[in-house]
Amino acid sequence: MNKKPFNLSKLILTGYFVVIIFYLTFPIFIIIPISFSNNPFLRFPPSNLGVLWYETYLGDSGWVESTLLSLKVALLACSVSTVIGTMAVLVLERQALRHKSLLTYFITSPIIVPHIFISLGMFIFAIRLGIDDNAITLAFAHATIAFPFVVLIVGASHRQLDPTFERAARVLGAGPVRAFFSAAFPSLLPGIVAAAVFSFFVSFDELIIAEFMMSGQQTLPMRIWADLKLEMRPTIAAVSSILIVVSIVGMGAAELLRRRSIKTLND
Amino acid sequence: MNAEKKITSTWLLWPALFMLVAFFLVPTLDILRASFFDPEFTTKHFVKLLGSSVYLDVLWRTIKLSIVVSLICAVIGYPISYFIVQRPRKQQIFFLFLIFIPLWMSVLIRSYAWMVVLGREGLFNSILIGLGITDQPVKMLFTTGAVYVAMVQILLPIQIVTCYSAMSEIDLDLIRAARILGAKPWQAIRRVFLPLTLDGTVTGAIIVFMLSMGFFITPALVGGRKDIMMANLIEFQVNQLNWGFAAAISIILLIGTVLSVIIIKRLSKILTRRLVGGGNA
Repeated sequence: MNKKPFNLSKLILTGYFVVIIFYLTFPIFIIIPISFSNNPFLRFPPSNLGVLWYETYLGDSGWVESTLLSLKVALLACSVSTVIGTMAVLVLERQALRHKSLLTYFITSPIIVPHIFISLGMFIFAIRLGIDDNAITLAFAHATIAFPFVVLIVGASHRQLDPTFERAARVLGAGPVRAFFSAAFPSLLPGIVAAAVFSFFVSFDELIIAEFMMSGQQTLPMRIWADLKLEMRPTIAAVSSILIVVSIVGMGAAELLRRRSIKTLND
Repeated sequence: MNAEKKITSTWLLWPALFMLVAFFLVPTLDILRASFFDPEFTTKHFVKLLGSSVYLDVLWRTIKLSIVVSLICAVIGYPISYFIVQRPRKQQIFFLFLIFIPLWMSVLIRSYAWMVVLGREGLFNSILIGLGITDQPVKMLFTTGAVYVAMVQILLPIQIVTCYSAMSEIDLDLIRAARILGAKPWQAIRRVFLPLTLDGTVTGAIIVFMLSMGFFITPALVGGRKDIMMANLIEFQVNQLNWGFAAAISIILLIGTVLSVIIIKRLSKILTRRLVGGGNA
């Protein structure tokens, strides 16, 4: 066969790939340069370089409080969902349960149902119990939507475990808990950390449940949302740039860990 | 069995079930209750919803937009997944990371990014004016087009990744085999590769569709007044303290989503049969 037409189509495909990658990423990265400006308005190209909007962000007690609240909620939510999710994996992956597929379906259903639907339900539920406008309730609500992801991620790395080690530990006299923590847990850890980072961001970025439930305090997404609807001040560009860098570093690391947790045990 | 006993007691599952019941199942039932009882049993919310062309318009627009967005994502994404899956292993991981980067940002920030790009004094208008193509800023933000452009950008990575994982399970030698047996390149793709990967594509499209049905932030930020979707309607009713009505809208949204997914699955089955068949089946 002559190879020419095939290479041409490959070239076109590569070009197409570059265009689409550009479409996917440029809007995000455009925010970072424009945030380093001392102008009172967003402008292209950014002139009068400076860190004015970062100073404004860090000097505004409202913004800082929102950030701290989001951090607190996200830390609690990710601890809860990671611990509970990992525990659930140990049962789902190790035991022959009746109705297992039904159970798995139930456990992953918070991913499938439209986010706005769950948000409204949680809000009505919290109002009924009088536990709305409460950071702890919000954290548990976030933990519930992050939890299925934990089960999926940790479950995948659990399937790669070699049960021999744990069995050996048991034979050598370790109790079931000790055998798990010394023989299985270290191999699960990368997956667990990945799941924790992932659920941290699910909570940290979540807007709608917070918007419904919180009336007294504002989380960071609520604050950004409120500001965006009023006027686009460059403070948001500064906050977004910080979040973009943090997300890329955090989620990138988590994704690497997740890949390692499914790969290395195999090779 | 007993000697192999690991920590497997079912109590480990209880906290998970408790949390799901408390924060997912009960809230779901609460929505049902709020939509039908006020405080006596009533169907007035549904009568109001289904009897008004305004609300039905929003429902129809939401479904239409979600279908178009998932179709665009499927068509744009398919060649990208195909491109990635044909690369050497190391490159595949790098390319997937590129696809993942936008996925790691919150929808809020990605929608904001489009406000920056499409705004009156945004990137595109600055370029257009700078190049002298126009001297008045073109209205791009707060339009239906902006909603499509932003939503496709936000959801496309999900389509690409889903489709990629389906493709990566297919033995590429099958195409080679088809070629050796005399199929033209396009035939090999259409008769062998496409039917095998259609399932993954449809799965991706369904996920994109379901996510779009609940979209809230993007239409509110980059769309105009006419672009509100079901989720925005729900938020508006919640802010007006009409929880019962908001609950009724959510239920219609959920039912609309599920029904559409069933229809999409049916259609894709027929489509697959057509593709494979093509005359000899």
